[in-house]
Order: sequence, then structure tokens, then C-alpha cells
Amino acid sequence: MFKLTLRNLLDKKIRFVLTTSTVVIGVMFVVGVFVLTDSIRTSFDELAGDIEAGVDLTVRSPLDIGDELDRVAVPQDIAEIAETVPGVASVDGRVVARNTVISDGEGEPILPNGPPTLGFSWFPTQFFIIDGHQPEKPDQFATDATTASDNDLVVGDVYTVSGPTDQREFTLSGIFNFGDPEENKSIAGTTMAAFELTAAQDFLDKPDSFNELSVVVQAGADPAVVQEALDAAVGDDFEVVSQQIKIEETQSDFNAFISIFGNVLLAFALIAVFVSAFIINNTFQIILGQRVRELGLLRALGATGRQVSRSVLGEAAMVGVFSTVVGIFLGLGLARVLRSLLKAGGFSLPDGPIELQARTIIFAVAVGMGVTVLSSIAPARRARGISPMAALSDSVRLTKSGLGRRIKVGATMVALGWLLLGLGLFAGLGTQQLLLSVSSGGILIFIGTTVLSPAFATQISRILGWPIQRLFGVPGRLARENAARSPRRTSSTAGALMIGLALVSMAGVVGQSIKKTFVDTLDNSVQADYFVRSTAAGFDPTTGFPAEVEQLVNEVDDVDLVVGYHFGLNSISINGSTKNVFTTDFSAGTDHMDPDVVAGSITNGDPLGSILLNEDPAEDLFVGVGDTVVVQFPDGAVVGLEVAAIYADSAIFDNYVIDNALWNEHFNRPELLFLTASISGFSDDLPEEQQVALLASSAEAIRNVTDEFPTVSVENRVEFRQSQQAQLDSFLITITVFLTLALFIALIGIANTLALSVFERTREIGLLRAVGLTRRQLRRSVRWEAAIVSVFGAILGVGLGLAFGVAAAIAIPDTAVNTVAVPWGSLAIYVVVAAVAGLIAAIIPARRAARMNVLEAIATE
Amino acid sequence: MPSTTTTGIETDVAARAIGATKFYGSGDTEVRALDGVTAEFERGHFSAIMGPSGSGKSTLMHCLAGLDTLTDGRVFIGDTDLSTLSERNLTLLRRDKIGFVFQAFNLVPTLTALENITLPMDLAGRDPDQEWLDRVIDAVGLADRTSHRPSELSGGQQQRVAVARALASNPEIIFADEPTGNLDSTTGAEILDFMRDAVDNLGQTIVMVTHDPVAASHADRAVFLVDGKIVDEMMEPTAEMVLDEMKLLSRR
Repeated sequence: MFKLTLRNLLDKKIRFVLTTSTVVIGVMFVVGVFVLTDSIRTSFDELAGDIEAGVDLTVRSPLDIGDELDRVAVPQDIAEIAETVPGVASVDGRVVARNTVISDGEGEPILPNGPPTLGFSWFPTQFFIIDGHQPEKPDQFATDATTASDNDLVVGDVYTVSGPTDQREFTLSGIFNFGDPEENKSIAGTTMAAFELTAAQDFLDKPDSFNELSVVVQAGADPAVVQEALDAAVGDDFEVVSQQIKIEETQSDFNAFISIFGNVLLAFALIAVFVSAFIINNTFQIILGQRVRELGLLRALGATGRQVSRSVLGEAAMVGVFSTVVGIFLGLGLARVLRSLLKAGGFSLPDGPIELQARTIIFAVAVGMGVTVLSSIAPARRARGISPMAALSDSVRLTKSGLGRRIKVGATMVALGWLLLGLGLFAGLGTQQLLLSVSSGGILIFIGTTVLSPAFATQISRILGWPIQRLFGVPGRLARENAARSPRRTSSTAGALMIGLALVSMAGVVGQSIKKTFVDTLDNSVQADYFVRSTAAGFDPTTGFPAEVEQLVNEVDDVDLVVGYHFGLNSISINGSTKNVFTTDFSAGTDHMDPDVVAGSITNGDPLGSILLNEDPAEDLFVGVGDTVVVQFPDGAVVGLEVAAIYADSAIFDNYVIDNALWNEHFNRPELLFLTASISGFSDDLPEEQQVALLASSAEAIRNVTDEFPTVSVENRVEFRQSQQAQLDSFLITITVFLTLALFIALIGIANTLALSVFERTREIGLLRAVGLTRRQLRRSVRWEAAIVSVFGAILGVGLGLAFGVAAAIAIPDTAVNTVAVPWGSLAIYVVVAAVAGLIAAIIPARRAARMNVLEAIATE
Repeated sequence: MPSTTTTGIETDVAARAIGATKFYGSGDTEVRALDGVTAEFERGHFSAIMGPSGSGKSTLMHCLAGLDTLTDGRVFIGDTDLSTLSERNLTLLRRDKIGFVFQAFNLVPTLTALENITLPMDLAGRDPDQEWLDRVIDAVGLADRTSHRPSELSGGQQQRVAVARALASNPEIIFADEPTGNLDSTTGAEILDFMRDAVDNLGQTIVMVTHDPVAASHADRAVFLVDGKIVDEMMEPTAEMVLDEMKLLSRR
């Protein structure tokens, strides 16, 4: 029996390749993602060790919440105390800051999309000069090798560098490798500018202080003993940590980044696996249909039903083994390709070895074997029921489960799926349960719909095929009837496409709703005439530009009011939970930004003692105007703030707003996220000509100031709105591109099913060719059959995606989405794209069909 | 219309093979399926090609019908030399001038009986001659079953639809490959009677490949093939005569 199974596989090579291709792709993606993230993680872990090597102990202030760079600075006198501790060989103060942006020879700022732009004091254990020398004078700086070579920075030339408070000219004194003398290991596109210590303290806004002290112990001294002594010497306001802790911290920072990135990729890989499962199941069903007579013969010759079903399972298992092995190898290749793609996209990842862990192999086997064997259980059970008569009778058909039962099972699954989905979206579950509930709900709906859809696949195919028949005559008629003839096959082929399109459509609906909400908010709340922001592309709340820009813009004649804004991601703590914080000038009230105040007044707020709350958190905290909220800041201060106003619109202001004065007191980040300006005498009531003239003159005046700053750009209200929308659009496009992956797999599925169908209809095709169907007509009929099936899947998918999207848009908090908008145009395009994709997928099967030898085709049993 | 090569003689021959030779394989494994067959099939006649299995009778038919190509020699349908035609023109020729009846699996399962019958004309984008079509459908006795799908018809009915399809475009010649091979004797006789009728009353030309002496007895003429060569020919054959001849041939 086993020999027969094996023979079977080897005999039908093309069928075997078609079956395995989809499993291989699924396994390949999963392995690729794991290998990539593992490899990056290992390289980063090694890098963390390299970076911290040479520093035994670190003195710094403690930090409960907020960013690493929010730590309170360590003053000079602590460094002096540390030097006197027995066992300490040397103490070096270090300065680090974000938003230190170098402009290249052309004056263009070097702004990586996402990764930080860091400024440092020179540190010999991390920086290894490869060209020139380390910065020694206040007007010198050095940069990392990657930044230098990518932007043609030349040692000896003068460049503008923008810092947290102002920008200055520096001469490039040298180029260094970071982390390793042999190879620059700067992370993921980060740009680095290093300065001589006192220059760094001045330029990076750490007067007479340091971010941390790096301590080296004397040879022979026990670091643990020195740590204890040092800890006692620096007092309670500061902590001393070992090299090991620093390495672990650096690693866990990297890991957090890699995990997010890896989880996103893994989600896509699992979608790919799910879609593959559909295709594999379908393929096994078709193959079984083709083998009915053969299996019937086996039964007639004495094979038991059990043996027959075991042979079907055995074939699946072998497909699984083969696909898993091939998938693992291809996955290793994919990881390399992904890594080069990421590098090409601006993420400079360390060039470590590709790493295949046991866990990856186990997962690959689980996916490859699991998917194939699970997909073949139903066909195997049906194989058991094949009667020996099947070998003898002329027209053999597998018994199929009745339509009534199908509708019942399918409808139950769909209903249960929606129940789970609704529960996940609206019952206020924790993140983990929410994801579980929503994804299992989605999976149930997908499967249920596929079980249910054969009930109407024939009718829909006929309707969709009608215009094709009108247009193309007999080939159109054949396409229509072939799509309609086996509703089960049409449904499961369409099912794979349905999943991909449902996800894309859902993203489209949610994205459109976010965009609509955002645009409405901008229209309603933005009152300022000008916006000054960092030129960095993409929205990153950690970017910023020198604080002195605010002062300079304020000095422009036409400008009557300037307001600066800061944003701190997860930077304050209220009732023990970490929150984002946004800042403004309370004195400006709603002149520039109107968040729709529902109670109290912004201008009444005390800059150092008040907070503004969105109505949702106000409700959650059970506070109203005049009540006190206790807020903890990254510097450890715990302050009671009185609620000055409650507002409804959180799209710009987020949920918690404090005054800039309070920010400056507790945060060491003077750089601004953006600032707004208004023009004196400007009002919408002025005659249009006057408005235009006023805007033109003031725009020039403001640009005269900001043009000096390469990292800063100015937009008027319309431009600001457009640039914000463009950012949202590019985000949505990225998601769509990723989801298109699922569509790609679905296309392979269509090509696969079609190839098998063509194979199955060999005789019929031979007959048609014999009575005069030209090759061209034959190709056309196969292609249009694919188009009909694709459009059927697309309609199901877009319909489901629409429903998912609307449900999600309703469930998402009003902060992000307060209206449901449907991108009808895009949805229509998806259906058209699906049809075209179907036509493309059919090219190869159609060619194969057309190439068949007529005589052999007729003679085929 | 396919391009034609005219022999210059207007004949009453519907199909003709001249020195038709067909090899399969090469070297030691070479098989001579046809070995210089020269034969003519007259218009308005019902001819049978007989022979034991492996005699090359099916190959001859396939080559005459443009389904297969010769290694050497020539075949004509009417005045058209098939060896000069491209694949596409061969397809068009089959569609327009030739009708087929196969042993089994004769119909497209997704089309109704009527659609199957008019399929070659639909493929050509031609309207069928309604009067002729009605006559054909009437003759096969399927007037009330034209909207049925093949799966709803019996084997005999299916084969009658297949014969009707072959007749429907009023082709120059119809090739039938063991048309009764899959049918019981009563149903088979019905089909043969009907084919006889098509020749006598509808003026059709039929060439049938068979190894069944009873089937051959319905023909005007039987040609006997052994080892790729024509060895005998018989006018107005009866089942007994054919059977005797076959016994004789198999003893050679």
C-alpha cells in the first residue's frame, strides 16, 4: 500500500509540484520570518556586549517611567565623588541626546525614516576612528562610517548640525566605526554625531552634567565590591549598575524593537499559511475526485476502506514532509532576501550569520505537516466511503454532503464567528483575549463562508459569466458553465482569494475612516495660520527641532503669536499606568488649536499646576474641572495637578495636556515636536485679496527664518493638512502591500486548481478541439473561467472586508475613528484587480490546455 | 476558409489517402502503424474500415480526419491536401468540413443536447441551417430532449446526440470511431440504422472504424487493414462474410 502511495506521487509529478507549492510557500514565510528575527536578535545581542565592553559600572539617576534619555542628569560633583571611591580606576561622564541632525554637503538634513539621530560625547570604548581623528576642539565632530559614506561626508569639511536647542557649524574631524573596530555596527539607520565632552555638554544641553558616568575599576578589584562602595558614595538620588545589567538592558531594548517587527511579519506569515491551507484542502479534494476510479479498483481488489483512506493520508504526509524540507531551505533564502530588502530600505542591520534555531524547525514542521495532514482528513474520510463499484461504473462521482447540512454547518460557523468577533471588539477584553477572540472569530467566518458559499456559487457564477458569454460566444459559454459546474471547487478556490481581499478591504475601510476622522478634526480644530515642523518624513513623535526656532519665529514682524508643542510617549504615570503627554501654552487658549472644550477653560489653567483632560480619561478617572489628578514624571517628581478644562477632540491633543512650563521643569527635552504661528491682523473676514497678500508677505518673512534651519519646514494650513494626509496614505499603502502577499498566494491557488481542472477535463478538451475549438478559443475559455472564479471570490472578500471594516471602525475609540467611511472606489478596483489577476493566473494552465495533443487527450482514460 | 491545394480534378471522392505512411518511435522500437496505404472514400457512401486491433485502422482514420499527421504520403479531404495546412487551419477544417462520432465521452457535460449538437457551428460563429437542423434532430428522435444535459440522457441517447452533432453542420465527411463500442447490441443497431439512414436519405458520407462484423454489415463497403496495409476490400458486406474474412486474416 505504501509503495502504491509513493508510486502515485512520483507518477504525477506536475500534480505533486502544484500541491506542494502552496505548502512550501507557507512554510517558507514562517521560516523566513523566524530566521530573520533570530539572526537580527543574535547580532544585536553580540553588539550589546561589544557596546558595553570596557565599562565595568555605570552611575546614573533612577528611572521609573519615560525614555532612557529622560533620566535626570548626573552633576559634575557626583563624578568627582565617584573618582575618590576606592577601587575606581577612572570615571568618564557621558552625554547623549536625540535629534542631533547633520546636514550633508548640499545642506540637506540627514533624516532616517524612523531610526534616531543621536548626538554623543566622544567615547573611546565605543567609537573606533577609521579616518581623520577624534573631535578635540569645540567646533569639531565625528560621525559613523555608514552615515559618512551614505551621504558623502568628507573629513575636513564643515557641516551644519542641528541640536536640541540650536544649530551650529562643525568641522568633520574624523569618521569612526561604532561598536567594533573592524566594522561599523550602528543600528538600523541611526545617524551618530560625536563631540568633544565639553562641546557636547554645551551643544546637547547638559551644562556641567552628564547622562551617566562610566566607571572602570582598578585591575584586580572586584567590581561587585566597588559597586557597593560607589552606591554608598553617590547617595540615594543615584544608582550604580553593573556591566551585565547594562548589556541586558541594551539587549531588551533591541528585543522590544525586534519583537514588534517580528510579530508583524509573523502575522502576515500566518495569514499566508491560513490561505495555503485552503488551497491545499481544495487540491486534495480535486485529486481525490480524479482518483476515485483507481481507489475503487483498489477496493475491488481487496483493499479495506481504512487502507484506502490511509493511503490518501500517507500521500498528504509525504507532501507535507517534502514541502517542509523545501520550505525550510527556501525560508533561509527568504530571510537573506528580506534582510537585504530592509537594508536597501534604510535599515542598516548587522551582517551576522543566518541562524536556524530548533524552535524554527519545530514550527516549520508543525505548519507544513499540520496543514497538509489536517487538510487531507476530510478527503481521506471520503476516500474510505468509495465503493468498489466506482471502478466499474462509467460515471463516477464522490458522494457529497448534502446542501442542507452544508448550509446548517456553514451558517452556524459564520454566526459563531461574528459572535466571537463582536465579543472581541465590544466587550472590552484585554489585548491578548481580544486578539484571540477576533482572530478565531475571523477564521470561523472565513471557513463558514467557504462552507456556505457552494450553495450559491453556481447561480453567482452564471450571473457573472453572462456578460462573458455574450461577448465571447462559445468559449465564454464554456467558461461560464465550467465555473458553475462544480460549486464546491469554485467556492474553495475563491475562498483563498476571499481571505486576502477581505483583509485588504477591511484595512481600506478602517484606513479611510481614520483619514476621514483626521481630516474632519483638522478642519474643525486647527486655527493657526502656519505650522513649523521637522522635515523628517513620516510621523515620529520622538523627532524634534531646535527650541530657538520658536524665539526666532516670534521675532518676525507679522507674527503675533507662536505656540510650541512637545510630546512624550509613555512619559507620565497616572494612577500607576503610563500615559502619553502632550504640551501647549495654556495662555494661547484655543487660538491655534481648538480641541472642543466641553468644560472649564484652558486659559484659566495654571501653567505649573494644571492639566487638561480628554473627556474619556476624565470619565475613567472620575474627575471633573477643579478636581486634582496626581501625575508622576520621569524625574521622579509626583505632582498634584488641577483639571483646568475637559475637551472632546483628542485627534491632535491626545488625552493628557500640560503646559510647556511644566514640561521644561520635568523633562530634559527642549527640542520641539512642532510649533504654530498666527499672523497679526489676519482674519477670514478680510477681503480675499488682502488675505492672499498678507499670507504671501508673512510666509516669506517666516521662511526667511526657517530656511536657516535645514531640519525645519513651514506649511500653511492647507499644506499642513495635505502633508498629514499624505503620511496617513503612505501608511495605508504599506499595509495594503503586505496584505497583497495573501492575494499572491491565492493566485497560485487559482492557477493550481485550474491546472488540475484542465488535467481532469483532458478528454473533454480533446473532444472540443476535435470538433473545432481553436487553441485560442480554448485558452480564452480557461482564462475567463478563472476570471469568473476570481470575481466570485473578490465579491465575497470585499463584502466580508466591508463588514469587518465597519465593525472595527465602530469599535475603535473615537479618538482615532469617530466616523465610518467606505472607500467605494478602491473596493471596486479590488474586484477589477482580482479579475485581471485571475486572467493572469490562468495563463499557464490555459497554455497547457491548448498544447494538449488532441488524439492523446481523446484517448485518455 | 482554410487555404486549399486543388488537385485540378473535380471528383466524387470525399477523402483520399495516397501512400499514407505513419511510423511511431524510431530504431528498434519503430512501429509501422500505416505502411503506404492508398484508398479512396466516395461521397454519399457508408464505408467501414475493419481490422484486428493494432492493424492501424484508427491511425488511418485519425490521419484522414486531420487529428494526426503522416510520416509520409498525403491525405485529402475533398480537394484539400491536409499536409499543407497549419494547425489552425486543420482545426478550422475539422470544424467546418468534418463530423466526428467517438466511441465514448462524446459530449461536453456542461452543455445541453442542443448546444452540443450546434457546438461546431457555434464555435465557428455560424448560424445553423434551421431547416436542416430540425430534420437532423427529428431523424435522431431527440426533439423532446434537446434541453437535457448529457448526464440526464442514456448512453444510446448520448450517442445519438453525438451523431446529430456530426450531421448538423452538413459536413463533407463524417468519421466514426467504434461508435457502437460502448453500447449494447440493440442500442448499437439503432445507431447504425440511423447512420445508414443519414447516408441514404440525407446524402451524407460516413467512414466508420470498427472491429465488429455486425456493425460493418451496415456499410456499403468494407476495407480490411492488417499491419498497416490494406489487404482486402468487400462491397455490400454481410456480417457472415466479414466474420469469415476476419477469421482468415487473423490466421495469416
